[in-house]
Amino acid sequence: MLVLGVETSCDETAIGIVEDRFALRANVVASQAQLHGPYGGVVPEVAARAHLDLMLPTIDRALVEAGAHLSDIDAIAVTAGPGLAGALLVGVSAAKGLALARDVPLVGVNHLRAHVEAAQLEVGALDPPLAALVVSGGHTSIVVMDADGSFRQLGATIDDAAGEAFDKIARFLGLGYPGGPEIDRLSQGGNPRAYHFPRAMLHDGTYDLSLSGLKTAVIRELRRLEAVGEEPVLADVAASFQEAIVDVQAIKTLRAVADEGLEQVVLAGGVAANRRLRARMQADCDERGLRLIVPSIPLCTDNGAMVAASGANLLAAGHLDDLSLAVDPNLPLAVATEPPG
Amino acid sequence: MLILGLETSTLRSSVALADRDRVLASASLGVPRRHGEFVGPAIRFCLEQCGLAADRVTGVAVGLGPGLFTGLRVGIATAQAFAAARHLPVVGLSGLDVLAFQERYTDRLICAVIDARRGELFWAFYRAAPGGVQREGGLQLGTIDTLVAELIATGEECLVLGDGALAHRELLEDAEVVVAGPDVAWPDAADLAELSVPRFLREQTQQPLDLQPIYLRAADARIGWETRGRMHGGRQQPTPPTDRS
Repeated sequence: MLVLGVETSCDETAIGIVEDRFALRANVVASQAQLHGPYGGVVPEVAARAHLDLMLPTIDRALVEAGAHLSDIDAIAVTAGPGLAGALLVGVSAAKGLALARDVPLVGVNHLRAHVEAAQLEVGALDPPLAALVVSGGHTSIVVMDADGSFRQLGATIDDAAGEAFDKIARFLGLGYPGGPEIDRLSQGGNPRAYHFPRAMLHDGTYDLSLSGLKTAVIRELRRLEAVGEEPVLADVAASFQEAIVDVQAIKTLRAVADEGLEQVVLAGGVAANRRLRARMQADCDERGLRLIVPSIPLCTDNGAMVAASGANLLAAGHLDDLSLAVDPNLPLAVATEPPG
Repeated sequence: MLILGLETSTLRSSVALADRDRVLASASLGVPRRHGEFVGPAIRFCLEQCGLAADRVTGVAVGLGPGLFTGLRVGIATAQAFAAARHLPVVGLSGLDVLAFQERYTDRLICAVIDARRGELFWAFYRAAPGGVQREGGLQLGTIDTLVAELIATGEECLVLGDGALAHRELLEDAEVVVAGPDVAWPDAADLAELSVPRFLREQTQQPLDLQPIYLRAADARIGWETRGRMHGGRQQPTPPTDRS
């Protein structure tokens, strides 16, 4: 059974094809990063226009990669949320057009959940319960996949997503967009203890995070140095900022794992490509004897294969959507795409 | 021949099925912001009422705008995917052309006007011609004052229609222009399908990828952090360096 997954929730037009839930057949991403670079962030109308331009070519590339034709596709999965409404709507409309024309089932997928389920394309069936840190330009969420395969959110950023904080600081430092890889690269030669930046909400008893104050603290420090005529060591600033972000995420995630009595952690989302975050999560998990699952980078960043995988799981559980499937920019993790029963 | 027509570029969404002689089925909805939810079930409804399966469709016609950006993308994305999935030819028409077609029996100069939001209008001029209407000049974006000045400058008796005209009915009537009623205020997929049939017959068609939306306005470059809710979080509003075109 071949499922084609459509992902347009943010600034990647992505199509994936998955066979029998676990086998990756194609994973094609048309990135719009160049279009949004001048703004230092994703512009919704620019993204929606680009999704429409890129949709058919990306579908074609994925079919070529899979060595398949649309007539071989057995179901269409599509991200219904969370994400940018106008961007999501292009993907959902295209998915409905495909499903109607080929007379195959349509299933709406939760983007966050798909990020976690992407791991099944590399490690096989996930064996919940497990915790996951989903961290990207749009999300910083700590979620739990329970033994029955259902998901719940334990905590999330109350202001900036991690990727967004990276973008904004990168922009302030005059680095490129997206900011995450730039900060990662610059941090390699820097001292993560050179500057002390705040770790907010560490002891508030929740699993929520706040990254906006950290961003402000970095900017304030740079302005202070400028005022006293001191040249900041950018590598040190980047490394110290990155260390603070990584610290907060690792501490909150590991606390959730301990409190929930879990033994496995999935690290997913585009920011999972950050080398310091991967290393820190690996070290913390090793220390506690936990299993850390980190999908390879093409399955961490926004992609269509994860949508196809998540959709295949839902279909296997007997769930499907009708053609009135709506997009929901704030789609909650635990409803709408939950299998019945 | 079986043509599927989709028109979603205004607040009204509509779907129709037509063969070479007539419109077989149509469905429309005047509730705003429901394009995405309506179009799929409406296509299925039209097919089912005709007792036809999707694989009987031989061409797809779609309204390209100008109009509501989000709405017109629903129609175009659906049309492109449907057509690509069955290797069908497509015809894309401006919603203004489809709107004007409704007044194809008048002797007056026709002006089709669609609300462009933010105090602006999209419009174009037409004249009745054998088989429909013929556009005179290009598609325009401007204010009601500019439109009124243009209408007066024609020195002709004009018939104005569309939701953009209804929104300024008094101003237009003061300029001695006839304003058509709400029954013909939006482009409809049934007209679109009917208009597209000769093009399919003459094979004046395109490939799905060739369909280009008619925006007539540069993308709004606001990032809009503040409207993204918790998922996108931040409250800062960065100032974009330049406006893209």
